[in-house]
Amino acid sequence: MSALITITVLALILLYLGLFKASKALLPVALIGLVVALVLSLMEWGANAEPIFSRMMLYDHFAVAFSGITIFSTILILALSKDYFERISSNVAEYYALILFSLAGIILMVSYHNLSMLFIGIEIMSICMYILAGIKKKDFASNEAALKYFLMGAFSTGILLFGITLIYGASGSFDLEMIKQYILNDPAGVSPLLYTGITLLIIALAFKVGAAPFHFWAPDVYEGSPSLITAYMSTVVKTAGFAAFLRLIMFSFAPIQDFWVPIIITLAVLSLLIGNVTAVYQQHFKRMLAYSSISHVGYMLFSLLALNGSSDNAVFVYAAAYSVASIIAFGVLILMQKQVGNDSFDSFNGLAKKNPFLALTLTIAMLSLAGIPLTAGFIGKFMMFSRALASYHVVLVVFAVLNAIVGIFYYFRVIVAMYFKQEDRKELSVPVFFKFVLGLSALVTIVLGVYPDFIAGLI
Amino acid sequence: MNLFYLVAFLSIFFSLLVIFTKNPVYSVLYLIVTFFTFSIHYILLNAQFLAIVNFIVYMGAILVLFLYVLMLLNLNKESEPMKSNLLKVAGVIAGLCLLLTLAGSLKLVHVSDPVLLKNPDIGLVKNLGKVLFKDFLLPFEVSSILLLAAMVGAVLLAKKDPNNV
Repeated sequence: MSALITITVLALILLYLGLFKASKALLPVALIGLVVALVLSLMEWGANAEPIFSRMMLYDHFAVAFSGITIFSTILILALSKDYFERISSNVAEYYALILFSLAGIILMVSYHNLSMLFIGIEIMSICMYILAGIKKKDFASNEAALKYFLMGAFSTGILLFGITLIYGASGSFDLEMIKQYILNDPAGVSPLLYTGITLLIIALAFKVGAAPFHFWAPDVYEGSPSLITAYMSTVVKTAGFAAFLRLIMFSFAPIQDFWVPIIITLAVLSLLIGNVTAVYQQHFKRMLAYSSISHVGYMLFSLLALNGSSDNAVFVYAAAYSVASIIAFGVLILMQKQVGNDSFDSFNGLAKKNPFLALTLTIAMLSLAGIPLTAGFIGKFMMFSRALASYHVVLVVFAVLNAIVGIFYYFRVIVAMYFKQEDRKELSVPVFFKFVLGLSALVTIVLGVYPDFIAGLI
Repeated sequence: MNLFYLVAFLSIFFSLLVIFTKNPVYSVLYLIVTFFTFSIHYILLNAQFLAIVNFIVYMGAILVLFLYVLMLLNLNKESEPMKSNLLKVAGVIAGLCLLLTLAGSLKLVHVSDPVLLKNPDIGLVKNLGKVLFKDFLLPFEVSSILLLAAMVGAVLLAKKDPNNV
């Protein structure tokens, strides 16, 4: 709760700083405020969590862990934003404020205990993202991204609301605990309205996290948005969407697993297949990352197949590994676009000679995304597969492993280009902030890969 | 009860007219009438607040907005996009899917027990206010972030950039 207040107030302060033209102070204030919010939210760890504000929010371990990882990723991404927004326009304060508002929405999404809070959280986050996707007003791709995201998002919000209404009609409550009680009271005689409601909710949330077959907006939106915003979307927003998904299913709908498990399996299989196969054909790094993010949603959906105490841990580790590795990838992408003006795979040729540090961190990120041992990505995939095996989905795991092999192919294209293709090129200049973020993220990836117990047993 | 059936018939009748009229302006006007019948439904259910909000916001504000947009769009035969056969086939398939779903759900329909409200005055403004400012205080307050973010965004997107002009 205190994190939510801190972030909202911080956004307001940034708006005022923008009003008084203190553009130098924006980034430091934002970073300091976020660190404070991170500390405040971590301090609520361990307390005996009770639903607060007439059972609207529940700041339990799940909520603390996921708000921790989202705030942490936001800090890393904002650290990359030095001099980034200035190139787009002079309204930098508003950009920071919108990112922070969306983070406030995300805090609601990971800690809700009432479906009305889920709805408001998703809305706050999405509205900010629609705007941020379109901040390059003169850029056609950015306009297209914003409009597409807005139309698709508005539809999915309608579906979400319809689902919530039907569930309310069946159970008579928005409260997660009461809905569960309603199902438990008479599992056989549950009203058909509830099933329709659950289906609609799953569809809407699949839209928000970009799971196939509801992924059509994702590649264009990710490609058209400014790269920094894409980084934010594909890490923080995705993690939050998934946390909301998991929280809903774990809290309320666990008793009627037989109904929704086939839906989730279909979503997971389609996401893996479509994400991986189309990523292979991409010639541009950013578009490849967009498709690969769809496939990562497929892996994350595995955690829902066997619900118990460690499902949330599995998602947490996977989301952390994926976020950190993606931040490295997008960091390098931003440098590339700014200084080379191109993000095709060929533009990475010979990077290792001139920028050994960049090449090394990007290699670690790609290895982690591909799921090679000793990186965090491997631990994440391992935990996901063991979740799926725990409920005897052997065929599904074999399919996923095959897909992971396809994934290695396209992640390694970048590494091959950097190390084994020679080309004369200029050295990229790497600002200090970038060095810090990339180094820290690479370090986190390795540490989690070698010593996963660090966060694996947290929740 | 008879009043309910009359109003329900009118709602369905006018909402069908919304779809079947050729002229989009008439269509919006019929939509206004449809919303008006909804307002009567709310009053019959003793939900006065909803009735008033529906009257002011939907009938008043949103539909006027609709009309404005229609006038700005300049819809006529020439500017209408070509409807390809593929789209028609897709439409037929989607419609049949919807029909199938509706038929399936109608099979499950049964007459529910008469719903007795514990508190028949629950839709009155006073009671609604109590729920809104007591149980749902946090969502109510948090919506302010939503509105502020939307406002900042609207200004941000609509403002002219002095640098780039």
